[in-house]
Amino acid sequence: MEIRPIISTLSRHKTAALLIVLEISLTCAIVCNALFLIGNRVEEMNHPSGVALDEIVRVQLTPIGRDDDADAQTRTDLAALRAIPGVKAATVLNEVPFVSSSWNTSVNLVAKQERPTMNATIYMAEEQFMDTLGVHLQAGRNFEPGEYQQFTEMQRAAQNASIPALIITRAMADRLFPGGNALGKSIYVWDDKPSQIVGIVDHLVRPSTFEGPETREYSMIFPMRVPFNLGGNYVLRTDPARRAEVLKAAETALRAAAPGRIIVEKQTRTLEELRIEYFKQQRSMAWLLGGVIVALLIVTALGIVGLASFWVQQRTRQIGVRRALGATRGQILRYFQAENFLLATAGIVLGMLLAFGINQLLMKKYELPRLPWFYLPVGALALWILGQLSVLWPARRAAAVPPAVATRSA
Amino acid sequence: MFAHYFHLALRSFRRNKAITALMVLAIALGIGACMTTLTVFHVLSGDPVPDRSSRLFHPQLEPRSKSGYVKGEEPPVQLTRFDAEKLLRDRKGDRQAMMTGGQVAVTPQQTNIEPFISNARFTSADMFPLFAMPFQFGRGWSGADDEGHARVAVLSRDLNQRLFAGENSVGRTVRFDKTDFTVIGVLDDWRPTPKFYDMFGARGYGQTEGLYLPFSTAVELKMQRSGSMDCWDADTTGDSTSLNAPCVWIQYWVQLDTPAKKAAYLQYLGNYSDQQRAAGRYQRPTIVKLRNVREWMEFHHVLPSDVTMQMWLALAFLAVCLLNTIGLLLAKFLRRGGEIGVRRALGATRGAIFRQLMMEAGTIGLAGGLLGLGFAWLGLWAVRHQPVDYADLARLDPSMLLLTFLIAIACSLLAGALPAWRAMQITPAVQLKAQ
Amino acid sequence: MLEMQQVTKVYRTELIETHALRSLDLRVNAGEFVAVTGPSGSGKTTFLNIAGLLETYSGGIYKLDGEDVSNLNDNQRSRLRNQKIGFIFQSFNLIPDLNLFDNADVPLRYRGMPSGERRRRIEEALARVGLGSRMKHYPAELSGGQQQRAAIARALAGSPKLLLADEPTGNLDSQMARGVMEMLEEINQQGTTIVMVTHDPELAARAQRNVHIVDGMATDLAMEPALVRPGQPAAARV
Repeated sequence: MEIRPIISTLSRHKTAALLIVLEISLTCAIVCNALFLIGNRVEEMNHPSGVALDEIVRVQLTPIGRDDDADAQTRTDLAALRAIPGVKAATVLNEVPFVSSSWNTSVNLVAKQERPTMNATIYMAEEQFMDTLGVHLQAGRNFEPGEYQQFTEMQRAAQNASIPALIITRAMADRLFPGGNALGKSIYVWDDKPSQIVGIVDHLVRPSTFEGPETREYSMIFPMRVPFNLGGNYVLRTDPARRAEVLKAAETALRAAAPGRIIVEKQTRTLEELRIEYFKQQRSMAWLLGGVIVALLIVTALGIVGLASFWVQQRTRQIGVRRALGATRGQILRYFQAENFLLATAGIVLGMLLAFGINQLLMKKYELPRLPWFYLPVGALALWILGQLSVLWPARRAAAVPPAVATRSA
Repeated sequence: MFAHYFHLALRSFRRNKAITALMVLAIALGIGACMTTLTVFHVLSGDPVPDRSSRLFHPQLEPRSKSGYVKGEEPPVQLTRFDAEKLLRDRKGDRQAMMTGGQVAVTPQQTNIEPFISNARFTSADMFPLFAMPFQFGRGWSGADDEGHARVAVLSRDLNQRLFAGENSVGRTVRFDKTDFTVIGVLDDWRPTPKFYDMFGARGYGQTEGLYLPFSTAVELKMQRSGSMDCWDADTTGDSTSLNAPCVWIQYWVQLDTPAKKAAYLQYLGNYSDQQRAAGRYQRPTIVKLRNVREWMEFHHVLPSDVTMQMWLALAFLAVCLLNTIGLLLAKFLRRGGEIGVRRALGATRGAIFRQLMMEAGTIGLAGGLLGLGFAWLGLWAVRHQPVDYADLARLDPSMLLLTFLIAIACSLLAGALPAWRAMQITPAVQLKAQ
Repeated sequence: MLEMQQVTKVYRTELIETHALRSLDLRVNAGEFVAVTGPSGSGKTTFLNIAGLLETYSGGIYKLDGEDVSNLNDNQRSRLRNQKIGFIFQSFNLIPDLNLFDNADVPLRYRGMPSGERRRRIEEALARVGLGSRMKHYPAELSGGQQQRAAIARALAGSPKLLLADEPTGNLDSQMARGVMEMLEEINQQGTTIVMVTHDPELAARAQRNVHIVDGMATDLAMEPALVRPGQPAAARV
């Protein structure tokens, strides 16, 4: 099978051929970019959080009005929570992964720095922080008992307060000290007083990544005991199977510990549920993009089927003549397959250019990364297969045209 | 003649049922996708306060310390409490209000309702007339109430429904946090979209607050504020909501009815900044901004990027569907070369052929539009079940309905034009000979 | 060259059986020019389709060039058609999207011939029918007579042993028809067996032998028309 006669035939049907090529190219370009967007979102959703996702539950409660001795109340609450059967560890937090509210601060490498080096989130940790979240220390050490301070007291001390020791994530360490060992170095995150990096954890996701995906693990841990009314987050760790039971018991315990507090039911969930909620929009957008891809492929496939069927009908006689002149059924079938392959190839080549064009636009408007090259062969392959599948039915009908058609009078 | 062409079109559809169905479906899918995203776009980019959005302004000042100063940098998008209270006292606009979001524990008097948390807005008296907020019962509070830290509250229609079963609750008492407040007014339905006055909660499209309290009262009672807060410098006060804290967290809106007043207000803001710097409170060079509602929304890129992306995606999808339809119509028309040749031989003018074929394309568009409307309705139903803050706003309105049909028919005529133009070129002689 | 013994063809639909051919006996020797005549509906076209392997038959034996074709599958029949048979149709059946060169190229490509040889054969065949200068023309640009000559060139390019012509002049005016007939006679003289189906007695008379099909049965009229056969080329050969 040579392609020249096919091209010569197509060149006699330029408009129709051009239309199908354009349709394929547009589909190819959109499919490549949509796949890429899906890939981006899936990657974001599957990024390691650094915490024991399936073992953690969170209770949110707020006092009615101000609680003047929140610190004492917090101690009582934590003791009650830790006494619940099945609870491995329990802690109180200023912010929780996958819950958008967050504390953030600028980070400097030297005192009185003009422009901050970066921005990072602050997890305020008390003694059971690491055990409860299941954060993994990669280098250095955890905080020593003497290093923990009360948030309330630090607020009162105002300018005299400082954070001598802190733990940061690997991602943040690499950002601050590229290539160098961050452990033991000092950074400036609290006024202009140095804080020494005493430990590095492998992963710890920040509650909200408002500055772009590369900042998603710019997290610091301060040895600071917060009162429960600072966000109202109690977090407990248990066996995955006992989460519901522990959550219920925790609510009961907290209600019993002090009256006049409101448990925010919508926010009192397992961390897994909170994570699903957090990524809901991403997930639904990914599904939507997937739906668009499928719809586009179906429409394009139907377009190919329709046009090829028309061509087969239109050429019934010439197919009969070809058969009479000695073409086997296979040769007729392959003729239409080859024709489709040519059209698809032209569409794909054009589509690749278009895909890059669209990607450039997306990069500009939505700060997306460059389209990785491997999406192109994926898109190309998808359209080649689509084309071959779509043309199969019309091509088989063409191959079934009997040679005797040639002798029928017109 | 029109009816005749319509009749011919219907006959032609009957001959190629599958292909016709395919074309209608393609147009309908494209139209449905476009209308869904366009409706969302239309709803989200609407004017939240029609007839006054060009007269409402949000001022920006530059109170930050010298450290980290970059020339030409945008000043913070919120005000410090100090500046906001000063601007409010000076009353240089036609109306003005300072405000912040908050969270309040509501304890109903009825014992059968558990205490719950509600979103609140701590604001000053002018907010109600400033935003033309509609009242169902009662009214807003006065400037004197602000100064007197009055224990008064305005409820949203929803909260009034929840607390008082929708009755006129003016004069009744509700406990917010640990203090009893008297209901002074109940709002009617009020849902500015986008929620322009506070871009930080719910990315600009959230529900409005359940209750409104005087800012002064909320501050006195140390009620829980919520929303974004940016601080610089060491906070020497120990409380970032205190009057002198180096933090911006207040939204401030001012109504300026004429361009002259706007100019005067800008002048006033500049003078104020200069005075503050002279007094040593401001350190950076004076830079003030005064954006109206439209400019403010544009500046904040309030339209979610997913929404614009979905719209472009839908338009591209429609383009593919149109290419598809053009291809199929072309094949269909040219295959009927014999018929067209005979018609031409029997005296049909090119124009007549063109009109006949365009009628066929237009009819497909009409059918596609009808079906597309169904798809759009389904699409919007799906959007309403999306986990987005604007989900409940996604509804078809009459103008979008009309637009659907116009787009559908325009698209199909566009799709029909090229094939019909090609088909009318068929000369009778050639076709008769080849047959 | 072509031998049919009691060949039958029955078309079956759910309701009726149509006997298009009943027990057809026919023998055509190599080098003959045979005309098959008969009224319309007599089975001429069915005969041609079977002879040209375009259709299968229901019963009997058909040997083409000594080979029994009864048990060949579709692919084998295609190949045989391609190698041994050339077709000339009433409506020319040139492929409108291809120029003359490419049209003549169609059967040769299916044969898998190397391109050099194809080119040589096509150019030769087109030159032979007087269309050597119009290789790049499309069928629609030619007159009916030229189209039919191009079709003949397409048939000749493959050097078939058997040329099947179906009313080759049916769509032509008399002058063009004469030219085409003369061409066929010339081809026959050079050794190609020709079987021509026609309803035109005048045309049939120019063949060496006439076979008349009536109601699906053949009557050989070889002896009688041979005496009155006009036309010099055939006479010269005797």
